[in-house]
Amino acid sequence: MQFETTRFGAIETDPESVITFTQPIIGFQTLRRFVLLPGPASGDGEDSRVRWLQSTESPEAAFLLMDPRSVYPGYTVELRPEEMVELGAAVVSDLEVYTLLVVPQDHTQVRTNLKAPIVINLRQRLAKQAILDRQDYPIQFFLLQESPSSGEPREAAPPEEARR
Amino acid sequence: MLVLTRKEDESIMIGNEIEVKVLDLKDNQVKLGIIAPRHIAVHRREVYEAIQAENAQAAAAASAAASHLSSISNLIPR
Repeated sequence: MQFETTRFGAIETDPESVITFTQPIIGFQTLRRFVLLPGPASGDGEDSRVRWLQSTESPEAAFLLMDPRSVYPGYTVELRPEEMVELGAAVVSDLEVYTLLVVPQDHTQVRTNLKAPIVINLRQRLAKQAILDRQDYPIQFFLLQESPSSGEPREAAPPEEARR
Repeated sequence: MLVLTRKEDESIMIGNEIEVKVLDLKDNQVKLGIIAPRHIAVHRREVYEAIQAENAQAAAAASAAASHLSSISNLIPR
């Protein structure tokens, strides 16, 4: 199949490689189908540490994904059993976990959303944006902060009350 | 919008499966208990809105210059 993109022009892809979102990326309700593409080459000639998540339905809709564990060691995702079923996953290790990058011109403002990762079951080609019940995972995690425990802005919300 | 008045320990049902109960009222705050099937996600509205706003910022990355984006990769440790 072929589709148009603003950044890469026309792309020819195997229909099998298209990932379907069971729940949309919040705010992008009309977009359900995406493909993963190699990210922008890094300046040092090494492989890119990021990937594109490009919509096949909207040429300009693309997101940069990164591996959150590279900046937040010990980052873990726990999904509800219903979410695992929704993604056709038996165990969390069936899922690829990425977080969305925000890249303003000012490098100190480059950040990623640890609260709402993109989880992908590559085998089933299913994905969703999960919202984790974790107060310690900020929506804005600044990459240039020194460590996960340093004092960058966090959500000030009180702990989530336990369900039931 | 349907408007209902409830006292402490009273609740409302939304359909057959979702119950919203007023647990506590004090200091200009209401504490709500929500009983819902696990497949129903419950979040504070401001969290949902903050994620939506951040997603919109993430999508804007796609229009950044390629040279700028290539330097981003260097911010991420291997």
